[in-house]
Amino acid sequence: MTAATADVSGQVVTDKPAKGRRSDRSRSEVRLGWLLAGPAFVVMLAVTVYPIIQAFFDSLYSYRLTAPADKHLVGLHNYVVVLSDPVWWRAFGVTTFITLVTVLVEVIVGFALALVMHRAITSLRGVLRTAILVPYGIITVVSAFAWYYAFAIDSGFVNHWFDWVPGIDTNLNWFAHQGTSLFVIMASEIWKTTPFISLLLLAGLAQVPGDLEEAAQVDGATWWQRMRKVVLPNMKAAIMVAVLFRALDAFRIFDNVFIMTNGANGTTVLSLLAYRTSIGRLEIGLGSAISVLLFLCVIGICFIAIKLFKVDLASARGER
Amino acid sequence: MKALSTRMRVWWVVITIAVLVWSLLPVAAIFATSFKLPSQLDVGTFLPKTWSTTNYEQIFTGSAKDLFLPALRNSIGISLIATAVAVVLATFAAYAIARLDFPGKRLILTTALGVSIFPVISLVTPLFNLWRNIGLYDTWLGLIIPYLSLTLPISIWTLAAFFRQIPWELEQAAQVDGATPWQAFRKAVVPLAAPGVFTTALIAFFIAWNDFVYGISLTSTSRARPVPAALAFFTGASQFEEPTGAISAAAVVVTVPVVILVLLFQRQIVSGLTQGAVKG
Amino acid sequence: MRRRTRLLAVTTAVAVTLPLVACSSESGPPRLTWYINPDNGGQVEIAKRCTEAADGKYTITTEVLPRDAASQREQLARRLAAKDSSIDIMSLDPPFIPELSEPGFLAPIPDDVAKKVTTDVVQGAIDGATWKDKLVTIPFWANTQLLWYRKSVAQQAGLDPSKNPVTWQQLMDAAKQQGKFLGVQGAKAESLTVWINALVESAGGHILTNPEASADELKLGLESDAGRAAADIIGTIGREGLGGPGLPTADENASLTLFQGDRGSFMVNWPFVWSATQAAVADGTLPQSMLDDIGWALYPQVDDSQKTRPPYGGINLGIGAFSRHVDLALDAAQCIVTPENQAYYFATNGNPPSSTKAYDDPAVKKAFPMADVIRQSLEQAAPRPQTPYYNEVSTGLQETWHPPSSVNPDTTPQRSTNFITAVLRGEALL
Repeated sequence: MTAATADVSGQVVTDKPAKGRRSDRSRSEVRLGWLLAGPAFVVMLAVTVYPIIQAFFDSLYSYRLTAPADKHLVGLHNYVVVLSDPVWWRAFGVTTFITLVTVLVEVIVGFALALVMHRAITSLRGVLRTAILVPYGIITVVSAFAWYYAFAIDSGFVNHWFDWVPGIDTNLNWFAHQGTSLFVIMASEIWKTTPFISLLLLAGLAQVPGDLEEAAQVDGATWWQRMRKVVLPNMKAAIMVAVLFRALDAFRIFDNVFIMTNGANGTTVLSLLAYRTSIGRLEIGLGSAISVLLFLCVIGICFIAIKLFKVDLASARGER
Repeated sequence: MKALSTRMRVWWVVITIAVLVWSLLPVAAIFATSFKLPSQLDVGTFLPKTWSTTNYEQIFTGSAKDLFLPALRNSIGISLIATAVAVVLATFAAYAIARLDFPGKRLILTTALGVSIFPVISLVTPLFNLWRNIGLYDTWLGLIIPYLSLTLPISIWTLAAFFRQIPWELEQAAQVDGATPWQAFRKAVVPLAAPGVFTTALIAFFIAWNDFVYGISLTSTSRARPVPAALAFFTGASQFEEPTGAISAAAVVVTVPVVILVLLFQRQIVSGLTQGAVKG
Repeated sequence: MRRRTRLLAVTTAVAVTLPLVACSSESGPPRLTWYINPDNGGQVEIAKRCTEAADGKYTITTEVLPRDAASQREQLARRLAAKDSSIDIMSLDPPFIPELSEPGFLAPIPDDVAKKVTTDVVQGAIDGATWKDKLVTIPFWANTQLLWYRKSVAQQAGLDPSKNPVTWQQLMDAAKQQGKFLGVQGAKAESLTVWINALVESAGGHILTNPEASADELKLGLESDAGRAAADIIGTIGREGLGGPGLPTADENASLTLFQGDRGSFMVNWPFVWSATQAAVADGTLPQSMLDDIGWALYPQVDDSQKTRPPYGGINLGIGAFSRHVDLALDAAQCIVTPENQAYYFATNGNPPSSTKAYDDPAVKKAFPMADVIRQSLEQAAPRPQTPYYNEVSTGLQETWHPPSSVNPDTTPQRSTNFITAVLRGEALL
């Protein structure tokens, strides 16, 4: 029931309009809303929806850029080739591994950093926050080069500094084995993206009602008990959102792998496979199929998170 | 304010040092590498044996200047324009989302979230074909448009969060006091909204500055290639020599402004990225 | 109010970007754009010289391509596939020439020009510039790998490569005996394909038996004595650690560093190592005695009954088929490859000429005492397989013949043949 009441100053204030009927005022509000938000909306859709649809159409052809005369329709054959190829599944496995490990480490380290930022004594707050945010501003490619040069067998210092660790000596070629290459790649990824996660967690931490924690402290709970019983349960939504965002980012990892190993030694990830096929081999059809599958995987992760784990994006949408 | 016990003080010093080392060691490492002589790069020490500015000379006045300086110009120009356009569009959108009641609100915010998770690599080949056909390949505009898909979502979220915190009644109160709508907007709203817009611009700029995949796929000459892509193209004295020194110097040059910006505006960035939950 | 602001914003954005999008108006002589691979400034200088020599007919400007050949090919292939008219002259790495020539991306070279640019040119360069019996690019400079050795080590092993050709077995034995390392490029990169090709060709075989065939019919020649001999050499060096611990990631630069170190002995590499070592001595990082201890000879043989077939690389000039000034571009290309320019390029950038006349230039002989060995090496050099599917073949080899310690003469030739064939038939991802 539309309630158009006039308040004290004579301005008309409307409540929620009745279903199906909008007053003139709220209709003009809707129009204005779309007018203002429309351009942003249209731009976002145009830059993403058109390419992904085009990619889908391209994936139905066998099309090599340097053999344009041979382009022909093959339907879903490219998808069959990709999904039955161990190269795809190996890349899928590596990507999933990187995602799981980096998310886990970053949530833990990010939480620690969030606590530090939250509880920092005033004099140290500025220094700590600046330091924690520096990796956030660094270009990923720069981070990749920095970590790469540090660990490289000829120019790096890591082998010299850490040769007291069993297994590390000046002969260790970090980028010649899958395990060690992945370690450095993940280290760079974790270093660069933890600040963002720690800020998401900090937001969640700051919203835990202070009195709840104080009450627990008065009741004699230890720090660990306070964490487990009061802080973490209240942060569940924020943690899940942080995990989801981080997982989506990690699954699409590209820059670090491209710069450090370019996929050698079994470090090929899905984005790199798509790049190598579309742009390296100029096989547009096959590459587009990989691109579309990658997109579907990302959608899949979202779906699992929202439907299965009931990740609540309301706070991300700002409806707290 | 109770005084800190010595134990707590020591703890905080330890934590601060740990955080500083964790955050700054890689930056320090590449900083040190940028001062090493090319022929001494394989010595394997952290600090250079001889401190030399030859790498910086190479990228500013030497053989790499035609690769680095245009790339720097491209990066700055393209990132600034993409940020400006994104912030302008996002300001209008966020204003609508925060102030008005229209059914598209959730759709737009969900779209923003959706757009930000698109794998960039999936978009580049179709964009390449389209840009080639309409002449936008290897141009600034050809990068600015895809960059909007990177900068718009986060701009909309951040600004919507900022605008939700602005007490809009101030505008009405100013109007009651006799100000015209424009004056009310300017005097009451703009000062409150400006910090949010500024922080959003900063965050969006970082994201545009960081792009790599669009840069390597949609450009091919110094006309439009941004710095991260150019780093991957650097050359040493011959086609076989690893340009470690030049890359390190270039990396430091593009990192210094970032560190300065973070230093000056860390409070705003934290506030922006925590959606206003943490203010100071 | 807001609409006005928005309009203003959009107009500003357009006003700012429009000048950047629109090309500057052309006035004056036609501008030819030469897409060059990165070097030490030599091609830019030659472009200047040829602009002057053109005397107003045209000007040549340069644009730099990415550092490695595969990326260069990516850039050029995509733009040529889109009929880019701004590409006039291109510096092309020979293995990728068939891929660009086959779909008609390269402007044909008229017969009279072809004759002119192949007179007094080393055979290896002519082979590398030809596809399906036609000259499709203009030979510019030609690269080859030599055997570089530490005279002290060779003496102790009783070898004198400058007088008698050595075989790979002799090098491996010498390194093992003295506890030294061989400078070979075992990285998962184009350099590995270079090595494999040189070994297979030197053993009398070919990687592809019918390189001009279509993808469905290409056949590999690795399952042969030559292929097995190559696999034996690479596998032994890898397994016995004769290439040092950095072998799986060793590129040309890393090989040089190894060679200059205490455990350096023999190295196969391109002539840039000579100028690089000289530069390091000038810097003070290496002693002059190091330079004096370096000797050079032809690439090692696989077995002493067959002449060695050293690697061939370099750059040939291609003319873009969609260029607006094909005739002027051909003119300009011929100016670029004159023996004088080639000699200048060699002396300053360390890239050997394809023109035999350039080797007689005294400046060349002074800068590179090994010039004659280089020329002989180029006469015997074998190009890598020339096929439009070179990228698949090379990447496939890099996938299956890496790391070197995993290479086995009984399994690797067969495995790589099956894999590469599947990729070529479109049945497998790379």
